[in-house]
Amino acid sequence: MTAALLVLLAGLLTALATGLGAVPFAWIRETSPRILALTNAIAAGLMLGASFGLIAEGTRYGTAQTILGGGVGVAFIVLGERALAGREIPFGELRGAGARKILLILAVMTLHSFAEGVAVGVAFGGGEKLATLITLAIAVHNVPEGLAISAVLRPRGSSVLACAGWSVFSSLPQPLMAVPAFLFVESFRPVLPYGLGFAAGAMVFMVFLELLPDAYENASRTTVGVWVSVTLAAMILFQRFL
Amino acid sequence: MTSTQPVLLVLLFGSVAAAATALGALPFAGGRRPNLTGIGAAYALAGGAMLGVGYLLMTHGLVRATLSVMLGAGAGVVYTRWIQHYAGVDTLDMRPGREDGADFGYKIILQNTLHSAAEGVAIGVAMAYELALGGYLALALAVHNVGEAMALTDVLRRRGMTAGESAGLAVVTKVAQPLLAIVAFALAPALGGLAPALLGFAAAALVFLALTELVPASYQRLDARRVALLVSTAAGAVVFLHSLVGEGEA
Repeated sequence: MTAALLVLLAGLLTALATGLGAVPFAWIRETSPRILALTNAIAAGLMLGASFGLIAEGTRYGTAQTILGGGVGVAFIVLGERALAGREIPFGELRGAGARKILLILAVMTLHSFAEGVAVGVAFGGGEKLATLITLAIAVHNVPEGLAISAVLRPRGSSVLACAGWSVFSSLPQPLMAVPAFLFVESFRPVLPYGLGFAAGAMVFMVFLELLPDAYENASRTTVGVWVSVTLAAMILFQRFL
Repeated sequence: MTSTQPVLLVLLFGSVAAAATALGALPFAGGRRPNLTGIGAAYALAGGAMLGVGYLLMTHGLVRATLSVMLGAGAGVVYTRWIQHYAGVDTLDMRPGREDGADFGYKIILQNTLHSAAEGVAIGVAMAYELALGGYLALALAVHNVGEAMALTDVLRRRGMTAGESAGLAVVTKVAQPLLAIVAFALAPALGGLAPALLGFAAAALVFLALTELVPASYQRLDARRVALLVSTAAGAVVFLHSLVGEGEA
């Protein structure tokens, strides 16, 4: 059982690392439509890069399962959005469409952590010598995900502390899922490609549904294209070397 | 597929994609004014498929050499951006109904020609790596070309051109596509160590074109939910189809 405790601690550490993504936003105070467009483009690039990694990982276990999971992820957002539409759910001081957008993005990022937690647990099951390395890798890889969440929250009026808090919250499913996945590797491994695909599908759909339309509205096509491709490439590099 | 000359297949796929352009002018034949809602859908589908092919090209390159893929990708973005900038098409107002400026006519043709050149290189690189992958890309570009030709014909008709003339012009803007596909296909093996960089270049050029031209154009004609649905479906379909008939892991 000590091994399971270690996995839990490792998962908690990786969740806390997500909060670091809020740090750069301590320096961003004023918000203009342009800043909103740029942060949207950055979040879009980071989320596309994360999906790139999720699909690459999922297809190692099975392409059809990953794509099927992706379809379910898309359907989930469509239904979730329909359920939220027209309801007044305030987020801090935000109301209406802005609050619904934030809620959906937080939901997507939190749900994707479930799949990542399973991935961590299954990976740990592969051999404990790799434990430290994997924990470190996931922790570092969580930082840009916190960055993506903060990029959406901060320009819409959340404090840096709230950005960090929500970032950590979105990663909490990681330790929660990592432990059972580690203990029951054999039962969790077949589910993994569906989960990874689900997360990727939901994220890609979210990028094109919510993030990019706003970005194109307030910045030129070229600006959006450059920011998205640069952050996307940075995210891919980041995942490869860490 | 192996029984046919691969170069002929490249020519065939590239030409089919280019020839499909003429279909876009067909609904306008006889002076008809067709419903143009399909254009946005064609752009979104093609944009999604280009993202899917870009993903596959990237992963194929990354298993070989990370840094050269990324350097190639950087070059792909810089090159595509540079071309758009110097041709002056990056500031083009693509909103439907805003196409009446004096220089819009030549700029839209320039834009179509320039990006079809980049797409031709991508077809050649994809086919050099894996014939099926290039085939999907050619199919996606054929869909894209039809939508593009519809938008172009719509503009040209209002400037007094016939549907036939504008079909011809639309195909001419695509002539470079099969030719550059063959050049890229022939050169790719000779480049040897540069192959990963070439994969990165093609992937980044496709992604950048999708992000700066196809996706924004589809938002102007379709609501965001339909765009998101079509983009993610097309991208997923490419990745899935590739796993069915792909020629194995790199």
